[in-house]
Amino acid sequence: MTTDSPTPDTGPELLPIATTARTRAALRTLIRPDRGLALTGIGILVAATAVGLLVQPLLGRIVDIVADGRPAGDLTLPVVLLVAVAVVQGLTTTLGLTRIARLGETVLARLRERFVERALNLPADRLERAGAGDLTARVTGDVARVAEAVRSALPEMARSVLAIVLTLGALALLDVRFLLAALLAVPVQLLTARWYVRRALTLYADQRVANGAQQQQLLETIGGAVTVRGHRLEEQHTERSAGRSRKAVDLTMRSVNLVLGFYGRLHIAEYIGLAAVLIAGFWLVRDGAVSIGTATAAALYFHSLFGPVNAALVLLDDAQSAAAGLARLVGVTDLAEQPEPAAGEPAAGKAEAGKAAPASVPRQRIASSEAAVTVRAVSHAYGPGRPVLHEVSLTLEPGEHVALVGTSGAGKSTLARIVAGVQQPTSGSVTAPAGTGSAAAGVGEHPVVLVTQEVHVFTGTLAEDLRLARPDASDADLRTALATVHALEWAEALPEGLATVVGEGGHRLDPARAQQLALARLVLADPALAVLDEATAEAGSAGARVLERSAEAALAGRTALVVAHRLTQAVAADRVVVLEAGRVVESGPHDELRDADGPYAALWHAWSGSRTTAPHP
Amino acid sequence: MGADSAGRGVIRRAVAGQRRDVTVGSVLGACHQIGEALVPVLIGLIVDRAVVRPDGGALAIWLVVLAVVYTLLSFGFRFGARAGERAAEQAAHQLRLDVVRRVLAPHGGAEAGRPPGALVNVATEDARRVGAVNMALTLGIAAVVGVVAGAVLLLRASLPLGLLVLIGAPVLMALGHFLARPLEHRSEAEQEQAAHASGVAADLVAGVRVLKGLRAERAAVDRYRATSQASRDANVRAARAAALQTGLMLTLTGSFIALVALVGGRLVLSDSIGLGALVSAVGLALFLPGPISVLAWVGAELAKGRASAARIADVLAAPGETTGGTAEPAAPAPGELRLNGLGHAGLDALDLTVRPGEHLGIVVTDPADAATLLHCLARRCDPERGSVELDGVPLTELAPAALRSALLVAEHDAQLFDGTLLENVTAAAPDGSDPRAAMDAAAVDEVASALAGGTGGRIGERGSSLSGGQRQRVALARALAADRGVLVVHDPTTAVDAATEARIAAGIRRARTGRTTVLVTSSPALLAATDRVVLVDGGTITAEAPHEDLVRDHPVYRTAVLT
Repeated sequence: MTTDSPTPDTGPELLPIATTARTRAALRTLIRPDRGLALTGIGILVAATAVGLLVQPLLGRIVDIVADGRPAGDLTLPVVLLVAVAVVQGLTTTLGLTRIARLGETVLARLRERFVERALNLPADRLERAGAGDLTARVTGDVARVAEAVRSALPEMARSVLAIVLTLGALALLDVRFLLAALLAVPVQLLTARWYVRRALTLYADQRVANGAQQQQLLETIGGAVTVRGHRLEEQHTERSAGRSRKAVDLTMRSVNLVLGFYGRLHIAEYIGLAAVLIAGFWLVRDGAVSIGTATAAALYFHSLFGPVNAALVLLDDAQSAAAGLARLVGVTDLAEQPEPAAGEPAAGKAEAGKAAPASVPRQRIASSEAAVTVRAVSHAYGPGRPVLHEVSLTLEPGEHVALVGTSGAGKSTLARIVAGVQQPTSGSVTAPAGTGSAAAGVGEHPVVLVTQEVHVFTGTLAEDLRLARPDASDADLRTALATVHALEWAEALPEGLATVVGEGGHRLDPARAQQLALARLVLADPALAVLDEATAEAGSAGARVLERSAEAALAGRTALVVAHRLTQAVAADRVVVLEAGRVVESGPHDELRDADGPYAALWHAWSGSRTTAPHP
Repeated sequence: MGADSAGRGVIRRAVAGQRRDVTVGSVLGACHQIGEALVPVLIGLIVDRAVVRPDGGALAIWLVVLAVVYTLLSFGFRFGARAGERAAEQAAHQLRLDVVRRVLAPHGGAEAGRPPGALVNVATEDARRVGAVNMALTLGIAAVVGVVAGAVLLLRASLPLGLLVLIGAPVLMALGHFLARPLEHRSEAEQEQAAHASGVAADLVAGVRVLKGLRAERAAVDRYRATSQASRDANVRAARAAALQTGLMLTLTGSFIALVALVGGRLVLSDSIGLGALVSAVGLALFLPGPISVLAWVGAELAKGRASAARIADVLAAPGETTGGTAEPAAPAPGELRLNGLGHAGLDALDLTVRPGEHLGIVVTDPADAATLLHCLARRCDPERGSVELDGVPLTELAPAALRSALLVAEHDAQLFDGTLLENVTAAAPDGSDPRAAMDAAAVDEVASALAGGTGGRIGERGSSLSGGQRQRVALARALAADRGVLVVHDPTTAVDAATEARIAAGIRRARTGRTTVLVTSSPALLAATDRVVLVDGGTITAEAPHEDLVRDHPVYRTAVLT
């Protein structure tokens, strides 16, 4: 019943995927700093493989010695040589593989670091258009796929290819006719590989999708078990889970059948080649062209090819899928880095502030006249025909707290994002506290901070989470910030205090605490201007009250724009601005607007649930 | 101990359920192994019989024999492995559904102490590992047959040479394993650390909006770089350990072959064995480590399977949140809800009667007490003291599933599910009912008009393509459309703007006219639309009156709902 294709008309505008040529070029750039490592690594592996190829001729030599009935002492030399070969091969293989692994891991680390850096610096609207899912899929799925290829496929592929090439060369050295006989297997192998890869790519892609769908269904069903039971949806969800699981099983069986068919065909190739090499040996020995030992060595060579050939062919689709993953990663790392200064904010000032030595604590807010915001005739549209804001103008005095209210879709969040400098308006300008002009004023390096209702607790210790806002903060700074937002008590009561691991897989924080953490980060970042977008919405009504107290404390001494849906926030603000359909329709202190007969009074009465004016406490 | 034996039971059932495929897989897998063992022997035979003294007729005959062996091994492999994989997948599928059924069982309890991610892991990874025991079993049986076949072939060719290979090969494997063990342990630890890095990256990307709001991109990148470099170093160390292991095995195997060649050569020279036997022995010495390493792998798989089976057994045997209760509530339920001296956790001696058809507001000052009350009403727990009655029957006597068909507790954090908007709204609705009234009441029409595809538009997993307020409205519409005799709603509009909230308050009133409805909330707009409000402060009922009266007369109430 359900499909996994995104609805076409809402399909997000996915991030780009690099072309093959671009991917190759990017790969070369990534490898360039470690060229030496690459060359020596491959060189050593070639040596290791070449040494290993001495085994079969040495065994052939032993066969010749016993076939000729020579004295047993003659066996000593080839046997000693066999042991020597084994030792050298073991050592060089270890060395070569280690170098290849170091190369692969270094390049991989370079790639994923570049990817994360670019991803986190994508412009906000680009990010919104792409949807977080695309980025997440790339940073988990594609990075894992490339890493898997680097870790297991790359070394095995390198060894297999070297073994195949050098073994074929060795066969030719024994007698070129052995090589020709062995090559009879190649057409079958090539056809098989083509047959396989063609089917494998789509099948494995389908299988990944089916596994993802199954995982998602189970997460929904199990994560929402209380809802499922409460609404009596058990049967529905068991059926859905069974369907998704069944589909994943079916696709797995199809790929199993494909791989098995692939091996079946390779067995045919093996037989053809082996029979041909044996027949060639028969002719050549009969004609006296080669010794029995040489014929034996040739047969053993060919037998020893089975493993590497199968491995290389099976790895083809790993390599292809890794290449596809790589293209998706390079697609993002290739995006030109676009700095996005808030409108009116001097870019140079920002860069300078970023590099400036962090001011040492204590930091004190100096409400200078610069710390004000002027929004001039800002209009915004999320695409043609979807206007959100119309010529909005607004001024925030230094230290002023302004509450932005209005119905859903009035454009509150968009205005908040524009004021915070996270979103560029279609037209108009915003003058934000520009890097605070003088870092000497003791103001934090970030002029504006936006906290939304989207809570995210970063995985790691609580202290690490907080330090994202100010990497050089001391433990005392962290405690002070937590205390400011009334979160120190519970934070210290955590199993390991500030060293408790929180976030995914760690200690779970409820939404209210997670949001307090976000507010503590705001305190640490210490901006002149703070923008709060329904930062208290996710908590239940009782939690919201606690959060409002925290928010109030976090905003003390700052200029603040607060998008509020609980009108208690409006009551506490210096001024209320009512937004309706993208336009400012009312502005003034709460008491004044409540007593006026405007849109705010209507909102207030609806919210407070009384037509009569609520008594003043 | 108990979990261990229960785990064994899980494995036994997983194997027994697929015994046909496991048997077929083992038999055909054995054919494959015998074939693989015969190939090097045949190479030796062909060199001996047809090449040493060239004999075209013998060559032709032996090549036909080789073809037969190839057919045997190829088909054995193909159909044996297919049966084994099918047994593994089917068993995993069954276990997955067992876990889902247990989690969704009406008396609950499986989630206690297990975050959803961990439970999903049990349903996917652990189920897969237990299923894989079937595959491991077929491969293991086949490998044993392969080793025995190789042994028989070798001993027939030459007793001393055969013994050398048969004793030497396992010793070699054991030696390799022994030498590699410290490396393996280390590499596992390293890999765990490495996996951490990818988690950090995904986590930062998931929180990218928060980072942007905080202007903490640079700090995040710096942190990731440090993690990534640590992960790189760990991986390089793990790879070095693996490379050392590979090199070690190459050296050991190569030296062993040299030993076999030396002993075999001397035996041929002393006329104890033929030349072909020497070639076969060398070939078999190269072959035997294959099935032996399969056996080592099977051992590891079985150990993993046992650990996973214990976890599955644990989930399946998890105690329920409540026990007992088989009665069905009256249908249709008049809808009288009564608390008789209810005491549980922070709640103490709550006495309250909700009349059939009444709309009651409950304001609970402590969020924990609100949660407890809701749990008691949904029978997610049985009260320590007193009772909750639906139409005169204590909830403890009612079957939880049947109770929930009559009484729906719509929790604040109720989850939406992937599907269309309409599918979500009608998920719990009686067949053929019209959802429009419920959608109108919860102001879902506005959500639909903002969603591409309208009511037929997909809302993403857990409703991820909707905003918080939109999700709340859809969840409320679903609860209203479910049309239960009694509806308890908890904080349904915390993320909804004031104007819409007022519309919803009137909507609930309209949609639930004449049906018992309890609103656990501190939203003044919702409370104003109820008949009566009860204030629970400090775990007991401290006031009871219409909203307007309480706002006017009760300072605690006023603080609770208006500030």
